[in-house]
This record gives sequence, structure tokens and C-alpha cells, in this order.
Amino acid sequence: MTTLHRMRPFLPIRHMAVVILPMMLAASAFHLRPVRAASGSDNFSPVSASATPTWSHDIAPILYSNCTTCHHTGGAGPFSLLTYAAARRWGAQAVTVTQSRYMPPWLPEPGYGDFADVRRLPDADLALLRKWFRAGMPQGDLATAPQAPKYDSVWQMGKPDLILKQAQPFTLAAGGTDVFRNFVFTYPLKQSHFIRAMEIRPGAPQVVHHANVLIDRTASFRLQHPTDWQTGVPGMEILLDAGNTFDPDSHFLFWKPDTPALVEPDGMPWRLDPGNDLILNIHLKPSGKSEIIDSEIGLYFTDKPPTKQPMLLQLDRDDGLDIPAGDKAFVVEDSMTLPIDVEALGVYPHAHYLGKDMQAWAVLPNGEKKWLVWIRDWDIDRQAVYRYREPVQLPKGSVLHMRYVYDNSAANARNPHDPPIRVRAGNRSEDEMAHLWLQVLPTHADPKGPDPRLLLEEAWMRHRLTRTPNDRISLYNLGAALAGEGKYAEAASEYGEILKISPHDSATLIALGAALDGSGDWQKARRVYTQVVESAKASQICDARFDLATLDLRHEQLNSAEGEFRTQLASCAEDAETHAGLAATLMEEGQSDRAKAEFNRSLELNSENFQALLGLSGIELDAGDNSPAIEHLASAARIRPSSEEAHTQLARAYAQSGNLDGAQTELRRAAQLQPGNPTVHSALAQVLAQASKLEDAIAEQRLALKLLDDDADGWNNLGVLEARTGKLESARADFERALKLQPEHAAARANLARLPAAR
Amino acid sequence: MSLIPRSALWCYTALMLLFALFVSTAQAAPLHATDLQGHPVEQLTVAGTKVVVLIFAATDCPISNRYIPQIEALRRKLSSQGVAFWWVFPNPGDTLPIVRKHGQDFSISTPTLIDSQQELVHLANASVTPEAAVFAVDHGSLHEVYRGRIDDRYIAFGQERPQATHHDLEQAIQAILAGRTVAQSFGEPVGCSIIPAALKP
Repeated sequence: MTTLHRMRPFLPIRHMAVVILPMMLAASAFHLRPVRAASGSDNFSPVSASATPTWSHDIAPILYSNCTTCHHTGGAGPFSLLTYAAARRWGAQAVTVTQSRYMPPWLPEPGYGDFADVRRLPDADLALLRKWFRAGMPQGDLATAPQAPKYDSVWQMGKPDLILKQAQPFTLAAGGTDVFRNFVFTYPLKQSHFIRAMEIRPGAPQVVHHANVLIDRTASFRLQHPTDWQTGVPGMEILLDAGNTFDPDSHFLFWKPDTPALVEPDGMPWRLDPGNDLILNIHLKPSGKSEIIDSEIGLYFTDKPPTKQPMLLQLDRDDGLDIPAGDKAFVVEDSMTLPIDVEALGVYPHAHYLGKDMQAWAVLPNGEKKWLVWIRDWDIDRQAVYRYREPVQLPKGSVLHMRYVYDNSAANARNPHDPPIRVRAGNRSEDEMAHLWLQVLPTHADPKGPDPRLLLEEAWMRHRLTRTPNDRISLYNLGAALAGEGKYAEAASEYGEILKISPHDSATLIALGAALDGSGDWQKARRVYTQVVESAKASQICDARFDLATLDLRHEQLNSAEGEFRTQLASCAEDAETHAGLAATLMEEGQSDRAKAEFNRSLELNSENFQALLGLSGIELDAGDNSPAIEHLASAARIRPSSEEAHTQLARAYAQSGNLDGAQTELRRAAQLQPGNPTVHSALAQVLAQASKLEDAIAEQRLALKLLDDDADGWNNLGVLEARTGKLESARADFERALKLQPEHAAARANLARLPAAR
Repeated sequence: MSLIPRSALWCYTALMLLFALFVSTAQAAPLHATDLQGHPVEQLTVAGTKVVVLIFAATDCPISNRYIPQIEALRRKLSSQGVAFWWVFPNPGDTLPIVRKHGQDFSISTPTLIDSQQELVHLANASVTPEAAVFAVDHGSLHEVYRGRIDDRYIAFGQERPQATHHDLEQAIQAILAGRTVAQSFGEPVGCSIIPAALKP
């Protein structure tokens, strides 16, 4: 009958983002644009030692392939470099900033990490620029000049599927120091989408130097700033609550002016769910006049769910940052051993103004050293995410290292303190940070094992705890990772460590309840939830009571569950999930009319509540109301395409209404999602049999029995199919097997009797 | 023809150099610079002016633009003490309509000069935007006592302090007002080269 669906993820896996996501930002005065391709003139040939370079022949190609994506009218660069006149106007600066390698912006040292989209200009281009300037910046033959690239102000990838707009425009003051601000973009849709690309249009590109987009799964930032989130919240780094599911940060959503569209690799879209927010963490540099920042984020959807699940790992040494005033070379290091094979896809080093020399590398189990990145002269204004040209293979047992050097002397021009003062870790720009993010993709994972990212999370948190043994976030996330791996007792023990320090920490108690439930001790779990319900703050009580009600429902404590759901509706915010939970309880109690009313109320509150759609359709199917059931289930499958249950139920609805093709399609989808689920294969065998595809049906039924071989009904069904295709001896063996499992199986006995006697 | 003694030649050279630092407001038409109405500006001072400050700027130079709010604030702070500020736009591309529009966009209320013949550039010996030149007013003539960066926020392209730590321009002005010796700038101004008048855009 009604299956119980988890209303809220039952295991609170991860509460706080460990993650202080980065903020980023920007460059200063001039942004020549980078993108190193071959700059038109193949660097070494066309100019003989004595020939005088000209704009038409030599310089325009360099500017067009390296500079003008930012340096065009309306672009992020402060001036255009598209014409000869413009190149001459800016020739002196162009030579200065390219020779010093301030432009194009590119910090990594060549040879220490093999990156895609390298923007460093070849020496030959620098020589051409120098020679051209010294020769008086001659134009050359305009007829031979390459055609100028065209830039327009529309979305680079065409019209987005969804455009999010800043809640209110923000006015950046004309002068003063740099501004770090966080704008919240609420996701308005009622269904989840996979995002294959994102483009940001900041409104005033010349003052926006870089930005980081963070996904706030729980709208925690907006809740932390109820009165001012719409105007944007100042701050360089922010801390988000990652919510109750293990959904680790996985993508670098880092934006800088020369890469307005962030396109994810095939098979690696990211995801937005109803209730999520995007936070644009932005670094603004005043231009001299006040500017209006009115950003838009364009999202491009894909129907294809991810086939690869990367994860962002972090090395950090914030706890070691205590930099004496005047210290020219303060060093911090961190290293961590990888618990599984991964490949590294990209790296994002991060410090503030005192960071100087930043190195990261891996030592493989065979002793080989692989450089991940080396920046000799860190500049927060030109920070970036660097993606590897080819994934860097890092086998299990590899040790990741970072080594950062800080200059807190007066000789460091970027030192925000004059005179220097002691500096420690913190979120303000004048504090410091020591972070290295690595995007890794687990490889060679055991398909039967837990999500390999849980193993990374576990190793990461254990590593953090070696330095800060009582860190609540690390303990919490470690507990959650262990629970996710099914190690409930170990998880409960980690939560116990937090409770030793903070015995009344409600979030931890709720997580402990879930772990105890997972370990089989649901009575103790019940006591823990009850403790929270009786003692905690209102918001926590609501969470705990919901979990308690769900637990009781699952363990068929229907009276308690119904009472708890009803109390919840009376004393907490009315929500679709609670109505759906109450409805499921009523279903279990056999009160399907009242259950139907509650499911309907749930759908009034949220027409896309998955549990209500599924539950209501079950009632409708039982009553033979196939059409509304199909409609509800089609919505459920659209909202949660990865739900095997939605597809199986929809198949049932199609089969009941005679649409065998539809039923087959849905069951095949369900089988793809859960290849190891025997029920799906059995159901598919039944539908195929009805469609007279007997051989296919036999194959599916055999598959189902291979997965679950003590199913008497299954053997009987296989026997029938084999008998119908003339395989009488096989059929006989099947019926006998069914009877061996269940001697009083009447159908099997009757079928066996009908078979002609064995030869 | 008599030989000029070596020492006398030296004196003559020194004298010329010294003269180069003076411009007499008594000169009838030494300047072709215009204001934003296109009228020639012959007087950089009014009665009571003790110090004249020229800020060389370019409408399309980002660092130059970034200093506008700061210079405007400095003028508001010091104008009552006999300090006359002038924005000077010397680049060939910075024509009257462009500079006028720029002034509106950036809310400039300090008097502005278009130095199309770059006479003020030569007078002050300026080379980049933004760059400041400070003149003491002495019986109607101007004596340049400081030329260089506004402050030390920018050290080079790509090397920028979060905030300035040495406010060279303001210190120079305050020194004159207080009758102290003016310290010369320690660092070169960072910005965009002034485009020679011969180079029409």
C-alpha cells in the first residue's frame, strides 16, 4: 500500500558548509584581456629581425586575441583597443603593462601546473609590442589588418532559460576603498533544474572585477539578513548552512570579466532546487563616479542529469595564521592524504593582501611530485580559478600539499596596515586566509561502496580535526559523512563529542537521533528527538518534531505520528511537507478519504510537493481514477526525474489505463535508475508479457530472480512465461522451485498440475 | 665677440632654469587654455590666492578618474584657505564637449581647463595623468614647488595599496600654507602618459 516516503532527508548529513567560500575579486586599473591562443602573427616568423612591426600586420592580431574581449566599448576593460587610433592612444601603457606582465592577468608560474586557457603572452609578442612602440607605433597597410572582432551586449550564449535579477540596484560610491558585497538572487521556480552554463551581466562591468557565485541550499544567508539582504550585505567571505543532505560544493562558480559565460563540462551540470538562493559575492572597485550595480544571472538548463559528481576539497591553514608585524616571510603549510583515487580538474588558491608566494603540489605514492600551482607574486585583485588542460591523476595515498608565504612588512605595498600590525585569520579583507581549493572527480570508485565523496569528506574532516580537535563543524560533518557511509555507531560517537562540549546543541541532537535510528535503536532516537521537542528553541523544535513524527510513522507508531503532525500544523509554520506526512499517516491508518484531503491541502500549498503527488496518485490508482493519477505522476517524475518510485508508479498508471508502451518506457527508466531493484524487473516482465513480448518478459523475470531468488511469486511467474513459450521442462522446474519456497503456493501448484506429465 | 667666462655661462643656465619655473600672471596672453565655455583663461588666481594646484587628468584614464572624488574633497577642504584647484585636460582627444560631458558624469565642480596647446604641461613639466603641480603665488607670479603623484596608493600598474599611506599633494599644500619647506615626492606618479599634442587621435 502506501509506501512511506522520506519527507525530509532522514539523515541530516551536513549542517554547515565548511566552506567559507571565497570571494573574489579583482584587478585594478587596466584589464587587458588575456586568452592565449596563438596571437595572430605566429610569433616567430613574420617579423624579421630588422622589419619594423606595424599595427596592421603585427599588433592588431595580438590585441584581438589577447586584449579586446575586455577592452572594447561596453566591455570590462576601461577602454577599447579595437582600432589603430585606440592602440596608439594606449600604446605606452600597453607596452608597460605587458612587459611587467600585469596584463594580461595571469598569475601562475609557467611550468608548474599545465593549465587550460593560459593567458600569459609569449616573449615574442612582448618583443613585438616593444619594437612597435619604439618605432613610433606605425599603422602599416590597413588593407592587411585582420578584421576586428565584434562584441555585442546580448547574452553570449543566446537567451538564457532563466534570468535572475538583483533584488535592488546597488549604488557604488564614486570613491573610497574597494567594496566587497553579497547580493542574494532567489531561485523562483517550483522545480529543480540542472544547470549546464551560467552567464553573469553585472550591469557596470568596468567596476566589477571578479565575482563568486555560491549556492545557498537553505537560504541561510537570506535568513541571517532578513532586513538587508535585498540591498546586498557587505563582506568578503561568508559562511553558509549547507542543510541536511550531503550535497557538497562541487563546482567553481567563479566569474571574471574575460569569462562571462561559465560552461560546465559534459556530464557535470550543477543543480538548483526550489528554495535555493544564489549569492553573488562581488568585488567592486570605485571608478571615480558613482555606478549602478544591477546584475543579472542567466542560467542555461539541461535535462541530462550529471553523470560525474565532482567535489571541492580544501586545504587550509587559517588556524596557523598569526603573522607578526613586520614579518617578511611567514610560512604556513598543510597536507592531506587522499583516501581514494581522484583526478584534479581545477585549483583555486586564495589569500588576502599579505599573501606572497603560494605553492601547491601532490606527492604520489610512487614518490613522484606533481605541481598543482605556483604563484610567485600573489595579487588578490587578479585571483582566478585555474583549470587543468588535462585532469591530473592522483591515486589513493597521494599527499596534497600547500605552502603559503606571507609578507607583513611595510615593504609589501599591498599591506593594508601602516604601520604593519599582527594579523590573524578572518573574513575581513584586512584579515588573512590560507586556502587552497581543488576540484576533484573520484575515479575507480567501488560501485557497491558508498558515494566516494563521503570518503573524501570523511578524510577531509578527520584531517581538520587533527589540528582543531573540538571544531564543531568538522565533528558534525564527520558524523554526517560516517552516517552517509552507513557507519551509524561511529557517527553517533562523533556527535557525542560535540554534545560533550555543547550538551543542548539541537542540530547535533537531531543528527544524533537520525544516526541512532539508522543504527537500529529507534527508541533511543525517539528519546533524543523528544528531548529536543521539549527543550529547544522554536525553530529547532519544529525540525525535531517533524523528524520525530516521521520516525514514528516509519515505525508504525501511527497514533503518535498523527498527534505530532497535528501539533506541528498547529504550532509551526503550515507547510506542504507536514500535510503530506499527516496524509501518509492517515493512509496507514486506513483513512484514505481524510488522507486524500490532506494530500490535496499539501498540493494547494505547493503544487509540486513530490510526496503529495505520489501519495495522492496512489489513492487515485486504487480507486481506478487513472487520468488524474497519470497527471500527478507525470508531474512527480518531472520534478524528480531521478525517482525510481515515480517512474514505477507512473508505469502502473499507464498499465492500468492500457497504455503498455508508456508503461514499458517508464519501467525501463526506473530500471536504469535502480538496476538492482528486482521489483522493477518483475513489473517490466508483466507488462512485456501483456504486450506479448514473451522472450523479453522471460529475460526480465530471470533478471529479477537473479537479484532476489527466494521469491515464490517470481518463480511461478517465470514458469507461466516459459510454459507459454513451450519451455515446459524449465517451467516445471520453476513451479517446483516456487513450491519449495512456499509449499502452499496455490497458483504454482495449479500450474504444475496443468503441465503435461514429464516425459 | 668676447668670451664668456665659464662660470658666467653656468650662471646663465641656472637663471634660465629658474625662469622656466615661473610664469608671470602679468604676461598678456601666455595661455591658450580655455574653460568649459571655451573662453581663454588668463588668470589662475584671484585676489587672496596663495597656492595654485593643477591636476593633470584624462577623461579616459581609469586611475585619473578614480582620483576625482578625492581631489574634489580636497578642494572643498582647502579652498577657503586661499588654495585654487584646477583640473587640466591636456590630451588631444579631450575636446570641449568630451570634457564637459565627463565633468557632468563625474560631478566635477572644480574649475576645469582644456590645455589644448599643452602650455600648462610644459610649464609644470607634467608627463602623466593623474599628476599634480603645486605653485606658490608670490606677488602675482607662480613658482612651482611640487610636481608629482597625488599620493602613494598606486606604486606601479598592478601594485596598489588598499589605501594611501603618504598624501604627498596635501602635505605639499599644507607646507606652503604653513610656510614650511615642501618635501619633494618620493615616488613617480602612476597613470596614463600624456599624449603629445602633435598626435591627433
